[in-house]
Amino acid sequence: MKPFEHHSPNSLEQAFDLITQDDNNSYYYAGGTDINLQLKSGILAAESLISLKNLSELKGIEYKENNGLKLGALTTLRELQRTKTIYNHYPALSQAAGLMASEQIRSFATLGGNLCNAAPSADLAPPLIALGAIATISSKFGEHKVPIEDFFLGPGETVLEEGEILMQITVPPPNGETLFIKHTPRMFMDISVVCIAIRLLMNNGICNEIRIALGAVAPVPLRAVNAEAELAAQPFSSNNISRAAQIAAEECSPINDIRGTAAYRRRMIEVLVRRGLSSLNENYSKV
Amino acid sequence: MSINLNVNSKSHEIDVAPGESLLKALRAEGYYGVKQGCDTGECGACTVLVDNRPVNACVYLTRQAEGKEIETIEASGEHPEQGWKLTEGLHPLQQAFVAGGAIQCGFCTPGMILAAKDLLTRNPNPSEAEVREGISGVLCRCTGYVKPVQAILHAAAVLRGEAEPGEMITPDDIDALFISLPESPAQETSEETQTSVQVLPKVLIAPQTKNWKHVGQPEQKVDAVKLVQGKPAFAADFEIRGMLIAKVLKSPLAHARIKHIDVSEARELPGVAAVLTHKDIPRVVYSTAGQSHPIPGPLDSFSLDNKVRFVGDRVALVAAENSEIADQALKLIKVEYEELPSLVDSRLALDNEALLHDQPEYVDFAESDASRNLAARLHIDIGDVDQGFEAADHIFEHEYSVPKVQQAAIEPHVVITYWDEDDRLVIRTSTQVPFHVRRILAPVLQLPLKRIRVVKPRIGGGFGGKQEVLIEDVAAHLTIAAGRPVIFEFTRQEEFVAARPRHPMHIKMKTGVKEDGTITANEMYCLADTGAYGSHALTVTGNTGAKAMAIYVGDGEYRQNPNIRFVADIVYTNTTPSGAFRGYGVPQGFWAVERHMERIARELELDPIEFRMKNALREGELQPFSTAWSEGREPVPETIETNGLEECVRQGRAAIGWDQKFGIEGWHQVSGKPTLRKGIGISLAMHGTAIPYLDMGAASIKMNDDGSFNLMVGATDLGTGSDTVLAQMAAEVLGVPLEDLIVYSSDTDFTPFDKGAYASSTTYISGAAVVGAAQKVADRLTYRAALILNERGDGPEVNPSEIRLADRRATTQDGRFVTLEEIGQHALHQGEQEQIMAVDSYVSPVAPPPFAAQFAEVTVDIETGQVVVDKLVMAVDAGIIINPVTAGGQIEGGMTQALGYAVCEEMIYDDKGVLREQNLRDYHIFQANEMPQMETIFVETFEPSHPFGVKAVAEIPTDAVAPAVANAIMDACGADLNVIPATPERIWKSLKESAELK
Ligand SMILES: Cc1cc2nc3c(=O)[nH]c(=O)nc-3n(C[C@H](O)[C@H](O)[C@H](O)COP(=O)(O)OP(=O)(O)OC[C@H]3O[C@@H](n4cnc5c(N)ncnc54)[C@H](O)[C@@H]3O)c2cc1C
Ligand code: FES
Ligand code: FES
Repeated sequence: MKPFEHHSPNSLEQAFDLITQDDNNSYYYAGGTDINLQLKSGILAAESLISLKNLSELKGIEYKENNGLKLGALTTLRELQRTKTIYNHYPALSQAAGLMASEQIRSFATLGGNLCNAAPSADLAPPLIALGAIATISSKFGEHKVPIEDFFLGPGETVLEEGEILMQITVPPPNGETLFIKHTPRMFMDISVVCIAIRLLMNNGICNEIRIALGAVAPVPLRAVNAEAELAAQPFSSNNISRAAQIAAEECSPINDIRGTAAYRRRMIEVLVRRGLSSLNENYSKV
Repeated sequence: MSINLNVNSKSHEIDVAPGESLLKALRAEGYYGVKQGCDTGECGACTVLVDNRPVNACVYLTRQAEGKEIETIEASGEHPEQGWKLTEGLHPLQQAFVAGGAIQCGFCTPGMILAAKDLLTRNPNPSEAEVREGISGVLCRCTGYVKPVQAILHAAAVLRGEAEPGEMITPDDIDALFISLPESPAQETSEETQTSVQVLPKVLIAPQTKNWKHVGQPEQKVDAVKLVQGKPAFAADFEIRGMLIAKVLKSPLAHARIKHIDVSEARELPGVAAVLTHKDIPRVVYSTAGQSHPIPGPLDSFSLDNKVRFVGDRVALVAAENSEIADQALKLIKVEYEELPSLVDSRLALDNEALLHDQPEYVDFAESDASRNLAARLHIDIGDVDQGFEAADHIFEHEYSVPKVQQAAIEPHVVITYWDEDDRLVIRTSTQVPFHVRRILAPVLQLPLKRIRVVKPRIGGGFGGKQEVLIEDVAAHLTIAAGRPVIFEFTRQEEFVAARPRHPMHIKMKTGVKEDGTITANEMYCLADTGAYGSHALTVTGNTGAKAMAIYVGDGEYRQNPNIRFVADIVYTNTTPSGAFRGYGVPQGFWAVERHMERIARELELDPIEFRMKNALREGELQPFSTAWSEGREPVPETIETNGLEECVRQGRAAIGWDQKFGIEGWHQVSGKPTLRKGIGISLAMHGTAIPYLDMGAASIKMNDDGSFNLMVGATDLGTGSDTVLAQMAAEVLGVPLEDLIVYSSDTDFTPFDKGAYASSTTYISGAAVVGAAQKVADRLTYRAALILNERGDGPEVNPSEIRLADRRATTQDGRFVTLEEIGQHALHQGEQEQIMAVDSYVSPVAPPPFAAQFAEVTVDIETGQVVVDKLVMAVDAGIIINPVTAGGQIEGGMTQALGYAVCEEMIYDDKGVLREQNLRDYHIFQANEMPQMETIFVETFEPSHPFGVKAVAEIPTDAVAPAVANAIMDACGADLNVIPATPERIWKSLKESAELK
């Protein structure tokens, strides 16, 4: 490991300056759980580390009935899991956070870090995609917004350009029922073999809005748009649920790796999407 | 860069590199309670509180902690009496961990206590599930989490003011321990039963134990108080001036010759103290297996060689001022390899073009044949197997496989070496075999044995992985080269690629059975993969047959004359060398035997329990293998004196509710969950106790002025609690409370010889030595008591033989007594002066097997293949139980490791010999919140060959979980597995294939 510098800028301006002044061996970090391991294993050679922890613009959790949820990028997984408002209004998001890593990692690993690290298996991506969340990104040159479903470009790659910082995630007001299912060889502290998140809004027995997001089955977290189309504007039946599940399985492009073969992952997407849709549908029929 | 760190309300001005982890910084400041188990955020051993939140210090940058309040275990509490200074004592969590037997090796304990502190701050009244969730980020490889969870629940009650710290185990609990179990089958257990605080297992007590005061009692572990405070008790928790860091350059290739190696640049790097290659040190062939002399296996290893035989094999050694410089030095070493054909699949090993050991120094043992990649071969014939097959109505043949798995002790291998002031080399190491380390290293280092001292401090779990002279030579060579102290610590990745995991095997079974279920002949062929070196090759695989193939002898005439054949080839491959892992070959054997028995029973439509019991070995019969094999030495026939198997089956069957579940219509279904199926399964097991006529243990006991004793044993407590149970036996003989024994283990300079902690032998062998030494001391005590009493002359003349030792007194039949303190002072200062001290040794002529019945209940999701093991019940005959808490902990922890073997642990190599699982995320060991309910029942028998009637307890829990779980999976959904682990995908595939067949 090369010796490097460490900065803890107290303002965004300082943070921006630090990256553009340096060469591309400078990195922002939040909790540091991902970056620390990358440094230790030598995957990453950093000359300079820039802690985002003092930037107040990246902090805070704010919920308003009309505007929805604003989450600072520095929100920890523990906060996502344990903040009552999040749990009450966005249970899928809080469940996904609670199933990640361990208590000790969740204490300081952040939402922003999970998204920016852009692992295909990043567990927060599917629920945020299903919820239609939007990322706010800033740099020296200004601010722009990107829907989370367009945020990822490939394993470890996002739309963030050199010197850009992920500031905030906004989640629209809750609309419909959501659900998150994670399938792992064991249950906990395990990277997902596959995971899915669904948001469903039914009106009078007709599917009004549906979003199905899949994790760990493609280079980037994915929206199963064809499966959604299969269900749009229809009542649910076991037939179209099964069909949609099959379509979702065809839409993804999983790989063989240590956690499962591509064939198994595809079938698990089918099973989980079918189960997820059925259970959401049941929730609606109960009311 | 200097920053300010607040630790336990103390401010530290420290110099820290920008990328340095908090773990490193805290340990450098002397906070040794913060342990390192992985350095990658996976094990939780490094847990500290930062602003009252638990974090893994190893992935937390020190710079992030600036301005925050850090709390380590050192702030939690301390020994209540420190001379004239009294303290507040231990924190209620610490007290509960000590009292509840929640500490085995203690390496995970600080992390667990801090995680529990966070939980109890958030939630003062947690449910059991919440406790499990709260500590799930701290991995424990010893306990199976049962007792830590109970300790935390109890501590929570204490903190709420609802319980007293001392109530963890009450006299009532102890009384309840000693009653017989109800004979009627258990009621369906509700989930609620889990939340009760129940520390003690059930013990079906043997009548011989009635009058004992210490043996059989749930005494607290003698080392618990120091471990719960996170004291610097482990090998790496040691400061010495000028210590260098050692690192090893490892081979990237599976098989290659080192054509050139140039270390000149590395040597010139400032801060590098020594760089060694095969050219720099003597070429001494040896075996790294930590076994008695002569080692029953080939000699095929060198500290450094001109050839590498697996990815991760040693190429060069470096010692430098710090780990960054050592890393840099490794990068500067230039190696030119001549790549050789390599061999990963053991099935292709014999006579493969890739030949691992072509060096002239190779020393064969028995039937090893390096020219064929054969490390060892076994052929054991008992009776007439071919005739047995002819007599059978049915022949069953199947093949089974088991993977390589890792011990994954949370403390990695670590050693510190230095020259002492007498120019003797001190080796402070995490070993299970200090005396073997000394003997084996002497020729390798070219030091006379007498100039080596091996110290074994506390060990953070070993499970066989530390029964290997694996790392000591690295540090020792570098200390010799540099003349300075050296520390060498395996990284977690090195634990995976370069330690000594369990032998993977391919096993063929062939069994002849009569229509009525009588086994007429049983045959096993075993292809075992010893990896690149042959340590433990012969003995591990020998055990596979000698234990797993011994249990089913057949019925009727076959009981006297069983027909058993065991053939094994143990071959070299270019993969991580295999070695000793708790169970030592036997879990592999039982996987095959017990899956096979299940298939036979099901095909013949026999009751699986009746079929097993009909053919199982009974009391009074010969252990069949004792007539044919003894770890490569002369066999001596041995009769089974005690066998509680039938009672084990009866108790286990009742506890799991077998009769309400097995074969009962509708029980498999789960209402409202159409894709779930429940299943139940059984497996029997037997093991051995010690290695007869070979392994020796010794103990010495020395009396002090105040009537206390030093008990010095070479036996190596590595978290198992052996120091405690050995002290209990001494206490029983000497008539003193446990606190009057100061136990010390082990140090080759100060403690008598002991073969070490393996072969489930410490309580049995070392225990018998302790009892012998205690008896000799007791004889001196009664002699001196009579002397004092007769000098006093206040009653009739007494004879030593009329004096009994109890309650720190030597008492005559008419009630006169002398205290042991009086005796101690008299002996050292007053009359006929002597140091009361004795030593005794023990070698056993027999290896009495413990027996067990293992039950498992599972739920399988037939769509995803996910298996949830709901409950494990193990009923064990391990002879007399010296300490029900520590013995229960052995069973719970052993079953948990075996559960990993059953469902999630495996090591897979690609065709280049690169290991897939190199960390604790890819290699998953069970966490607290994934555990099944576990129940342990001890069925005591009194083994006559031991003064306290004990047999082994430590290894048998690893033997039978995998087949019991797989048999339950078969019962649940029909998936008929030949291979473990039973991963979701494997079960899914098996179900898919059988659906496609139909
Ligand atoms: C033991 C263990 C278990 C884990 N289990 C899981 C799991 O189950 N599921 C899962 O999804 N993940 C898991 N992780 C991964 C990790 O914890 C998460 O990805 C975490 O949320 C990352 O957050 P962080 O703040 O620590 O990221 P950091 O390491 O600080 O940053 C990660 C990357 O994002 C960049 N970055 C961070 N914040 C910003 C920002 N605001 N703007 C721009 N760039 C930024 C950094 O430059 C870096 O490249 C696990 C990790 C460990 C160590
Ligand atoms: S050492 Fe930090 S989690 Fe293992
Ligand atoms: S006691 Fe937990 S790892 Fe040993």
